[in-house]
Amino acid sequence: MTAKHKSFSRGYAFKNFEGQPQDNFLQINIPEKVIIPLKQGFGDEVPPIVKPGDKVAAGQIIARDDESVSSPVHSSVNGKVIQVEQVNYSGREINAVTIESDGTDDFQKLDGFSSEWENLSAEQIGRLIYLSGAGSLGKSGIPTGFNSSIISPRDVENVIIQGVGSEVHNLSLEVLLRDGHLWHFIVGLKILKKLLTNAAFHIALDKSAKNLITEVTDFLADTDSFGIYSLKPKYPLDYDEVLIPILLDREFPHGFSSANIGVIVLDIQAVLHVYEAVAQGKPLIERTIALCGGGFRERPHLGVRIGSPIEHVVKDRARQDKELRFIRNSSLTGEALSDLSSPVDRTFNTIIALPEDTEREFLAFARPGFKRDSYSRTVLSALFKDGSDTFQKTCSTNLHGEERPCIFCTFCENVCPVAIIPHHLFHYVERDVIDETLLSLKIFNCIECNLCSYVCPSKISVGQYIKQGKQKLLEEGFECPSGGFELKAVEKLKSLK
Amino acid sequence: MKPIRLLIDKLYKIRALNKAKPMLDAMDAAMFGTDETTRGKPHIVDTIDTKRYMSCAIAALVPAALASVYFYGFRAIMIIAVSYAAGLFVEFMFAVIRKHKIHEGFLVTGLIFPLVLPPTTPLWIVAVGVMFGVFFGKEVFGGTGRNIFNPALVGRLFITIAFPAIMTTNWQDPLTDAITSATPLSVYNSEGIMAPYLDLLIGTQPGSMGETCRIAIILGGIFLMFTRVGNWRIPVCYIGSVFIAALAGNHFLPEKIAPPLFQVLTGGLLFGAMFMATDPVTSPFSKAGKYFFGISCGILTVLIRSFSANVEGVMFSIVIMNAFTPLIDYIVLKFKFRPVKI
Repeated sequence: MTAKHKSFSRGYAFKNFEGQPQDNFLQINIPEKVIIPLKQGFGDEVPPIVKPGDKVAAGQIIARDDESVSSPVHSSVNGKVIQVEQVNYSGREINAVTIESDGTDDFQKLDGFSSEWENLSAEQIGRLIYLSGAGSLGKSGIPTGFNSSIISPRDVENVIIQGVGSEVHNLSLEVLLRDGHLWHFIVGLKILKKLLTNAAFHIALDKSAKNLITEVTDFLADTDSFGIYSLKPKYPLDYDEVLIPILLDREFPHGFSSANIGVIVLDIQAVLHVYEAVAQGKPLIERTIALCGGGFRERPHLGVRIGSPIEHVVKDRARQDKELRFIRNSSLTGEALSDLSSPVDRTFNTIIALPEDTEREFLAFARPGFKRDSYSRTVLSALFKDGSDTFQKTCSTNLHGEERPCIFCTFCENVCPVAIIPHHLFHYVERDVIDETLLSLKIFNCIECNLCSYVCPSKISVGQYIKQGKQKLLEEGFECPSGGFELKAVEKLKSLK
Repeated sequence: MKPIRLLIDKLYKIRALNKAKPMLDAMDAAMFGTDETTRGKPHIVDTIDTKRYMSCAIAALVPAALASVYFYGFRAIMIIAVSYAAGLFVEFMFAVIRKHKIHEGFLVTGLIFPLVLPPTTPLWIVAVGVMFGVFFGKEVFGGTGRNIFNPALVGRLFITIAFPAIMTTNWQDPLTDAITSATPLSVYNSEGIMAPYLDLLIGTQPGSMGETCRIAIILGGIFLMFTRVGNWRIPVCYIGSVFIAALAGNHFLPEKIAPPLFQVLTGGLLFGAMFMATDPVTSPFSKAGKYFFGISCGILTVLIRSFSANVEGVMFSIVIMNAFTPLIDYIVLKFKFRPVKI
């Protein structure tokens, strides 16, 4: 078996940005207090089954609802519940459980796990994954036979493992997969294969990680249901909407979930969590998170207990001399973490700290730009090849210019990963022309990757305008067209809050 | 750097200059960049802004401008200076009255316009032309990004029609003061004599100021396309279709239609194809539209050059196709995005 190369002609490759995470891994200590949001990852919010004053153990389920589409949530520390209250988390009002920790780091293992996972039945594997909370990972969850996803394990036709970091800053796969973790990853895949019997597996890996590709290919040589693909990292390859058409050569039902067409997309860390749940009995109480960006003095990969306040993770490592903006997972689409007392949850991969650069620069527009990034080739950094470390590109929140009218440069059109015409949609929405023309221009295909806003020389928030257009359309009673797909479990998807 | 900062701050404080605030803002922003940061997502944005975008277009025009100064001396500098001053005046008045910022697009128009003029053009005509172009070609449509026609071409067209004698028969031999009434194209049309290709490339044949040194134009054009400020589709299709149309035409009607390479290297074709047809605002944005636009411009140019009273057809063909730009994009989108059944 050899890796097949696949290419993606749209999108944009972010190269040589400063502030990539370092190659070391550290376990950080248990925080004094954790805040566990009761909605993390895919699924609805789950009701708490503990009350203030209760003693809880790390790994103990503190909230679950087997009826709704959801996964259980665990305590990540040993200690005592202080309060259960509504908090504003990621822009929604949800319940969160605050637990005071006693500082010990052991945890309660799941019932029925076995290091001899081959002896477990598919049902037992599904139950372990569901109870561990790992079923909520990925954009549409992992089907386990319980309500962790909208479809059942038998409905899954394809599983895609996403190992191409195409963001500006990415978690290092090498760090994630060293010290025997590569073997855990392989076993995790085999466990998933046993659970999702009807599925073909597709593993997408970064083209430049040659060793990893050979090793994975060798490990999986004796099986025939795994396909391995090498891709050049180009943003936004980590979106299901982009990856599925490339790997499976089929259209994505925009506006729906990949599960509706029987496809599940998971990242590498999710597969490792599956392994830990089934073969080691470890519930999802810990994530590997990379610190990225010029706002950090040191940028290690950290083993972090879920629910740790962001403060606890970033303190001592963030620069004090600059005003910083903390962002989760993506500089293009991630939420700004304005409240550092809010917790880390299951969906975190990276925490990015960017300097708020308000400094004015003499003749900024005429600078040669060895260290600046631009889609256009109007700066000198365009002359350096991929991977050259001579000039690492700076990365701050500066706007680099003033807002101007659209000049139809078509940069946004050229990079758009889903082949719609962002500037054309922008003109409609700007003039408040909200009608079915927008539907035929495929406004609902927009995946909100914000690449159009990134490349715009006129500094127009094209992506935000398109998002607005979609909302206005929905308000006026238009619906996202289902485009003649055979979709599974649409009702269940729509019932999700 | 500090003295400039102090000077601008001082100017801001002068009350008499309150009205001129757009001018000061433009100066301030050009000198010192921005202190703004992104609001929300995306948190980081590309380095490019319209200032840099337009500077690259200007940089691409610099070789042609330098060649014009070399061939026509001080007069060329005067014409460029008048064009900038008069055009900037209109742009500035509009910014004050309509209370918007000064947009950088004018900086390109102000340089393209003088380069397509005969070097003998009287300075007052230069001023009239550029003011007409900016006013009726751009501002009345709502300013940058909304204009239908290339403003530099509108100005050029206006003075060509208003002052035909001055604009079509008064050419100057490069490096001398000799006035001639003919350009290589008109010489071919009337006498059937072709100027040597090397002379045409270097620019020692009479023509518009910036259009004669074709090597400089090609260099600028390549730079424009490399930086992605200009799209390669229009120039390649334009020049290619002129070449093919002339090749076919010359085969069947040799007395009417000039041979292909001669067509490509004469008149304003290279300059027009590289710098005017590529204006993103007035040319189609769709890829298919760009191909169609370029090819149509090419065929029109050959037709006008060969069969009309005008010896030159680049200006007219681009303006005609500018008018069709919205229609071309509309049709392309009709094919690309089928209406959705609801």
